[in-house]
Amino acid sequence: MNSIEILPVVIAAVFCLLGIGIYALLVTRNLIKVVVALQIMVKGALLALVAAGRLAGNVDLGQSMALTVIVADTIVAVVGLALAVQIRRHFGTLDLKSIATLRK
Amino acid sequence: MIATKTAFTLLIALPLVAAPLIYLIGRLVYRSGKAKNNPAGWLALIVLLLTAGLWVLLYLRKKTETLVLITGQVTMAGDAVFLLMSITAIALGLMVVMFSIFYMRAEPGEEKFYALLSANIGSIIGLSATTDLFNLWVWFEAMAVTTYLLVAFYKDLPGSLESGIKYLVQSAAGSALILIGIALVVAETGTLELNLMAEMLREPNALLLAAGGLFLVGFGVKAALVPMHTWLPDAHSQAPSGISMMLSGIVIEAGLIAMLRVLGVFLQVTNLFGPLLLGFAALNMLVGNLMALRQTEVKRMLAYSSVAQVGYILLGFGTAFTLGVSDGSISAFFHLMNHALMKGLAFMAAGVLIYTLFLRNGSHATLKVTDLNGAARKYPLAALAFSIAVLALGGLPPLSGFMSKTAVFLTTFYTLNPWMIALVIFAALNAVLSLGYYAPLVNRMYRLEASEAVKNGAPMPWLMALPLILMALLIVVMGFYPMLLSDLFIPAGVNILPYAGF
Repeated sequence: MNSIEILPVVIAAVFCLLGIGIYALLVTRNLIKVVVALQIMVKGALLALVAAGRLAGNVDLGQSMALTVIVADTIVAVVGLALAVQIRRHFGTLDLKSIATLRK
Repeated sequence: MIATKTAFTLLIALPLVAAPLIYLIGRLVYRSGKAKNNPAGWLALIVLLLTAGLWVLLYLRKKTETLVLITGQVTMAGDAVFLLMSITAIALGLMVVMFSIFYMRAEPGEEKFYALLSANIGSIIGLSATTDLFNLWVWFEAMAVTTYLLVAFYKDLPGSLESGIKYLVQSAAGSALILIGIALVVAETGTLELNLMAEMLREPNALLLAAGGLFLVGFGVKAALVPMHTWLPDAHSQAPSGISMMLSGIVIEAGLIAMLRVLGVFLQVTNLFGPLLLGFAALNMLVGNLMALRQTEVKRMLAYSSVAQVGYILLGFGTAFTLGVSDGSISAFFHLMNHALMKGLAFMAAGVLIYTLFLRNGSHATLKVTDLNGAARKYPLAALAFSIAVLALGGLPPLSGFMSKTAVFLTTFYTLNPWMIALVIFAALNAVLSLGYYAPLVNRMYRLEASEAVKNGAPMPWLMALPLILMALLIVVMGFYPMLLSDLFIPAGVNILPYAGF
């Protein structure tokens, strides 16, 4: 197993996930998809935390941080989706452009 | 007497543990129909008074012993910054609760408001006590989640929902960036403890600079640094007025302090971030003031003025960062406390008018600038408090805002660095510009004919007068005795940046 170096792959994956997340956040207008894009970004961060723990030679640290982030991040996703449900009820749409009523 | 450690634990835990209890008791008692009004507000008031009592106990003990709490690998340290930030949060929270007991009365889900408020204050206290990078993130996220829910509290109003989702998306993207920054720092140093980390850093490299940049952006969303400030005017203007007070008075500042604590570690290896902070300070002042000038809604104007005020606070901290002048961070903390007081009072007085003019009549309309016309004759106390608050924000002597703004400007000026002097002149011009939107508000209340909304307004409830008078008095007193709270902000200013070389 050790013949394959895993770390470059993980770091490439971190960059991919982050890139996809940020790109999706910028282009998408559907609220559910925005929450998904946020999730993808945080998943990239999770992978980075685990990889960092391994790089620093402290695997436990990285994994315990990752577990905590999963919990905290789920709460944010739940709040986001709950807001999405309310927005759907009141605006009849999930399109971010059409709910933007507040002036700049 | 209880042991110091127990008191410290209780101070952090009490508001958090009390939050679900406030919700449960409020809900059960109200549902059972035994009480006419929901008791949740009074419960929150008692909890916060107890917390304030614990704080006083710790403050007295602090003179003889150091406050450290170690659970597992996580250290909580009750340093001077903690004392200042926690009392600001608790005191402002007390004012918010007193004000909200009438403001939020009979709102559906009233008990949720107080439970979330209590949890919010608890997470700010925790945030200011932690010295561990990841723990800082966890408290930061806890504070963020409670504020999302509070901003979107009116779950049937479109504007409230929109601002809630805007805030959530921007802030959550920011926290993901902070996590990447944490990963970079851990990969480099292998530790999360901020003090240990500073010892491990020896030379700047690309990874560390990238991490610092990520922290700047990630925490900057919460602290409303200018390109990342777009959530702020919506969230501040759509939230219940009590929450606008909390957001503007302490939540954005807590984000700022978290950012400074982390970036302070990087001072060990690079001085790049100081000038960046000063750049953000200038941008914040300019954009905040210019945008505030063209607002027609009172709370939205005050929100943009918060963006500008963050600029003044950042000017002080940036000076301390760049040139290692401890006076910079001391005066910045002075202005931070003052800002909590002034902006809290301004939002509260605006809230009183919203309550008496609209909410009492069952309308959730926004308070326009024109609605203020002639308010002084019918609501003398609210109008006077509002005038004191906005004139202090504009920096008129002898109010407290003048003292702290002058302190920030003078410390920056006395570095005698030509760039800093230019920046001070720019900031002073900005302060004059800000009077361009503050002064007309006072003029409208005192000199114009009463508007339609004022004529139909309901009388002001008695309980709202108490926090108004308290805060207005404190602003005037602090103007005459600016060193009144110096035991809090001088140690905090020395304490916040241990590696700045003062």
